[in-house]
Amino acid sequence: MALRPEELRRIAHGLGREPTTVELYAFDAQWSEHCSYKSSRQLLKQLPTTGPNVVLGPGEDAGILHLGEHNGERYGVVIAHESHNHPSQVVPFEGAATGVGGIVRDVLCMGAEVIALADCLRFGNVDDPQSHQRYVARQVVDGIAAYGNAIGVPNIAGDVYFDEGFNDNCLVNVIALGLVKESEIIHSRAPERSAGWDIVLVGKATDASGFGGASFSSLTLEEDNQEANKSAVQVPDPFLKNVIMRASYRVFEYLRKKKITAGFKDLGAGGIMGCTAELCAAGSYGAIIDLDEVNVSVENLPAEVLAVGETQERLCWVLPGHATADVLRIYNEEFSLPEIARGARATVIGAVQEEKRYVMRRGGEIVMDVPIDFLTGAISNEPTHREPSRATPSSSRNAHEPGGLAQVLGARNGCSREPLYKEYDAVVRGTTVIPRGHADAGVIAPVAGAAFGVALSVGGSVAEAARKVVAVGGRPAGLTDCLNFGNPNNEVHFAQLAGAVATLSEDASTLELPFVSGNVSLYNESSSGTAIPSSPIIGCIGVLDNVSKVVSPALKHPNSPLYFIGTRGAGPALKTENQRIAALLDAIDGGLILSARAIGSDGILAAAAEMAFAARNDFGVEFNDEVMPETRYHGWLIEAAEAATFEDFASRRLSREDWRRTGVTTVADIGGEVDIVSAGRSWDLDELHGAWSTRLAELYA
Amino acid sequence: MAVLIFPGTNSEAETVRICRDVGLDAESVHWSQGASLPRYDAYVLPGGFAYEDRIRAGAISAHDPMMDYVIEAAEKNKLVLGICNGAQILLEAGLVPGTGAVRRPTAAFTRNAPSGKFICKHVHIKLCADPARCAITAALPDAAVIPAWAAHGEGRLAATPEHLDEITSGGYLAFVYAHSDGTVDDAAVPNGSALRCAGLTNKKGNVLAIMPHPERDAWNFNHPDIADRKAILAPSGGATLFRAFAKALA
Amino acid sequence: MLHTVAITLKIPDNIAFSALSALRRLGVQVERVERADIWQFAGPASGDDVAASVKRNESLFNPNKHALELRESPKPQTGEAWVSTVAATYAVAPGASAAAVHHVGWRLFGKDGMPVAPATLKEAIEKLLCNPAIERAIT
Repeated sequence: MALRPEELRRIAHGLGREPTTVELYAFDAQWSEHCSYKSSRQLLKQLPTTGPNVVLGPGEDAGILHLGEHNGERYGVVIAHESHNHPSQVVPFEGAATGVGGIVRDVLCMGAEVIALADCLRFGNVDDPQSHQRYVARQVVDGIAAYGNAIGVPNIAGDVYFDEGFNDNCLVNVIALGLVKESEIIHSRAPERSAGWDIVLVGKATDASGFGGASFSSLTLEEDNQEANKSAVQVPDPFLKNVIMRASYRVFEYLRKKKITAGFKDLGAGGIMGCTAELCAAGSYGAIIDLDEVNVSVENLPAEVLAVGETQERLCWVLPGHATADVLRIYNEEFSLPEIARGARATVIGAVQEEKRYVMRRGGEIVMDVPIDFLTGAISNEPTHREPSRATPSSSRNAHEPGGLAQVLGARNGCSREPLYKEYDAVVRGTTVIPRGHADAGVIAPVAGAAFGVALSVGGSVAEAARKVVAVGGRPAGLTDCLNFGNPNNEVHFAQLAGAVATLSEDASTLELPFVSGNVSLYNESSSGTAIPSSPIIGCIGVLDNVSKVVSPALKHPNSPLYFIGTRGAGPALKTENQRIAALLDAIDGGLILSARAIGSDGILAAAAEMAFAARNDFGVEFNDEVMPETRYHGWLIEAAEAATFEDFASRRLSREDWRRTGVTTVADIGGEVDIVSAGRSWDLDELHGAWSTRLAELYA
Repeated sequence: MAVLIFPGTNSEAETVRICRDVGLDAESVHWSQGASLPRYDAYVLPGGFAYEDRIRAGAISAHDPMMDYVIEAAEKNKLVLGICNGAQILLEAGLVPGTGAVRRPTAAFTRNAPSGKFICKHVHIKLCADPARCAITAALPDAAVIPAWAAHGEGRLAATPEHLDEITSGGYLAFVYAHSDGTVDDAAVPNGSALRCAGLTNKKGNVLAIMPHPERDAWNFNHPDIADRKAILAPSGGATLFRAFAKALA
Repeated sequence: MLHTVAITLKIPDNIAFSALSALRRLGVQVERVERADIWQFAGPASGDDVAASVKRNESLFNPNKHALELRESPKPQTGEAWVSTVAATYAVAPGASAAAVHHVGWRLFGKDGMPVAPATLKEAIEKLLCNPAIERAIT
C-alpha cells in the first residue's frame, strides 16, 4: 500500500474512526498520485487550457477541440493521453496492450467514436540480445499492435527512442482520438436530477487481476518484488473491447433517439470504486453500490478486490430507470456479451443517491460508508521551498553523433521506425490520408463526405509538436501532454518537473495553444534511485480545413527551390513563431508548397535526406555554402513550387530577418548519382537509405 | 448486398462506404440479424478478427449461423466477396477454393513468413486469371493491377503440394502480388504466400477471397501525393474492384 | 529426455468456450473442453528445471493468468488431441529454444464427465480442431 502515515491519520480523523479494509484500499487508490495528482496539481494549473477552439478542457476523461462543420453539424475531436509505464516494464505485452485499452475507453466514454491512436515509447539500451530491455522493447510493440489492430483503430503517429536511462523503467505513452458531434457529448458525471438512477456496469467479468494498480503506478519499481507486481497488471481482451465499442455506439444512438442524458465513464484506476465515486461526486451526488451484483469470473473474491481491482474492459453508465432495460438488452442480447466472453455482461450494480455519501454493500453488510467528497476531493502533497529549474529538460536523444549524416541516420535514435510501426494497422477504417511514419504527423479524414481532416503529431516540446503538424498543412489547434518524471519527493526530480511545466506553459501561451488533456507519470525510477531522463511528451492536434491541401515530405520536382524557414542557434525563438506558422499555412493554402518537413534534432541534412527517401531517392539535395550542418535549425525545410512567386509571397508576410533563404536547390540526377551535398561533402542517398532503413530491422524482425 | 458483421469484425465502415460510393446498395448485417441474410443478392465479408481468431483465423466464424446462409447463397450462384479476415473465413468454410467438401478446408491463409508478425504495407494485386473466370472481376481489364493495403498477421497461402497444384491447374488463383507497374516477383509479396497468392476464387467463379484491402486505398484522399486534388473525396484506386462488382450485379 | 509441459489459463478460457459452442453446433457429443499449450523440450535437464525455466520465460508463462503442469507422459491423454502447425517457418515464441515443439492440446469430455471416446475425438478434429492444409493432430 502506498498511503503515507500522515495520510492514514487524516483518513481516521476525517471518518472519526478507523477505516474498514475496503475503505483503506479505496483511499489508497483514490489518493494515489495516479488518481489525485497530489504532487502535481498546483503545477499543472499553470498550463493554459482555454481558447476559442476548446469545446471541453481538462477535467473529464478526455478533452475536446472543435474540428469542423459538415451538413450543419459541428464535429469535435476528442483527445486522451495516458502512460502505462510501470505495467509495461513488468509485463510488457499485457502492460502496453492494456495501456491502449484504457485510453480507448477514455475517448469512448465521451460518447465518441474512436478514430486514431498514437504511441510514444522510450526503451533502454537494447544492444545486448539477452537483455530484459530488448525483451521489453519488442513485447511492448507487439502488445500495442495486438490491441490496436484488433479493435480496428488506425495508429497514425508516434515515436520511439532508446537511452540507458530507461533500462529499469521504460515509457509507454498512448494517445487516442475520437470523433463526436458537439451536440452529442456524453459527460463523465451523474446528470442533473439523477438521484435514484441506475448505475450499470458493462464489460468483462471482474477477477483478481489488476488489484492495486493505481497505487502500483505510484510506487517505484523494486527488483525483488517483480513477481508480486505482475499481479497488479491487468489482462487485456481487445476482442471483447471491439464488441463493447460497437455496442456502445449503438447505445449512443439509442440515447440520442430517446433524448436521454446519461453519464458514462470508464473503469480505470481504482476500479468500480474509483469510477462510480468520481461519476457521482462530479454530479454532486452520492452512490450505493451492491458488490454482490457485480459479475465475476472468480468466486469468493474479497470485497476490496471487487471494489478497487482493475479488471480491464469495463465501463459504467448512469441511466434513468426507464432506459436501463433497453441498454442491457443492447449489450447482453443484441451484442451478446455473455456468449462472447464468459461472464461478460451489462448489470445494474447500484444507484445514485441524494445523500453525498459513498456506500458499498457486500453480503448484506456495509463494507464502506464515507463522505464522497472526502474520498474524491483534493488532497495535496505539494513539496515546498522549490526553486523551479528553468533549464529545458534533458532530451533523451542523441542529437549529433560524431561522424556526420551517415551516422546520424544510421543511429538507433535517428533511423527509420518502419520495422516497428509496420506491425501497426495504420489504415483500418479507410480514413487515413497520411499513415504512421510517412510524414511528421499522421492525417485522417474522419467524417465520410467531409473534406476536413485531423493531423496528430508527437514531440518532446510544444514547438516541436506544433511544427510537425504545420509541416503537413495542419493548423495547430490544441495540445495534450504526458509528464514522465522521477519521484516527486526527491527535490531534484521535483525541480525538473516544475521546470518542465513552466517551459510547457510558456511555450503553449506563446503559440496560443491550449492543453485539453494530459497525464502525469511520476515515480519513474528503479529501486536503486536512478530516475529516468525527464520526459515531457507532447501531442499536437492540427486541423486541415480541406485535406486536399495536405503536404507530404516527399520531394516533388527536379530543380524546385528548397527553403529553410525558422531560426538558427541554441534555443528556438518562439516569439515570432506564430507569424511563421501563419505564413507557411497561407503558402500551403495557396498551393505554393510542394513538400515540407520539420527539422528535428538530427539536423537540416537529415531532414533533407528523409525528404529524398520519401521520394524514393529520385532527387538529390545540394546545399549551398550558407548552410552549416552543425548549426541547430529550428523550423522547416520546404520545397516551393516556384521561386519567384514564393519569395514574393514570403517577403510580404515575413520580415527580412525572420526568414532567410538558404539557397538550397534540388537537383535531379538522371545518371543515378543522387547525393546529399553540403560543405564540400557528399553522401550517396542509396547508402544513406540502406543504413537508415535497416537499423531497427534486427530488433523488430 | 449485405456486409456481414461478426463479433470482432473491424473493417465494416470502409467496406460499406466504398460499396455505396460505387452505387452498390450495401447494408451491414449484424450477427444477431442473420435471419435477414437470404433476401440479399450478394455478400461481403469484411476484415477484422472475427471471434478473435479463436482456434484458427476464420475457424469459429465458418461455423457461425450466418455462414449457413452464405454457403446456401453461394450454392445458388450468388456473389460472395471476402476480404482479409473475410477471406480466411471463406477458406475455413471450404467455399474457396472449394476443392473439398463444405466446411472441410483444403487451404488456409496462415501466419506470415518469415517474420510471423502482423504487417501493414501498401501493395498492388494483379488479376492473373481471365477476368471472366470470376464474376466479380469480369468487368476488369485483363491483368488489371489494383492498389491495396496488406494489413494482416496471417495472409500466407498454405496448402499441401497436391492442393496447391490443384489451385494452379484448376484456375483458382485470381490475384497475385505485383509491383505498381505490374511486374510480379517475390519482392512484391509481403507475407511469403504460396504461388504469390493474394486472392483465390472457386470453381464456379462466384466467390472471391482476397487478403489485402482495396477498400483502404479507395478514395483520392488515401493518396496524398498523386491524388486529383480537386476531387479529393472521389473513389479511385482500390474502388476499381468494387466498380467491377457493381457491374456484375447490374 | 523429453519433457512435456502443459500451460493452462487460470482465467476463463474463451477459446475453449467458443470451441465447445461450435462443436455442439456441429453435433459433436461433448460437454466440456479443456485447452492447454503443450510444450515439449528435449534435453538433459531435469523436468523440474525445465518447468522452472518455462516459468521464467515471460512470453510463455505469466503467473497472473497461467497454471503450469509437468506431464508425466509425452503423449496426449485419453480424450485429448494435440494439434500443431505443419512446417512453421517462423519462430514459435521469442525466447523458446529451437528444440521446443508446440502443440495445442484439446481435451474433450462427455456427458458422464469422462474423456470422450476416440471416435468422438476424431470427429471433433475433422470438423473443427484441425485444418489439414496447415495442421496435423495426434491422439
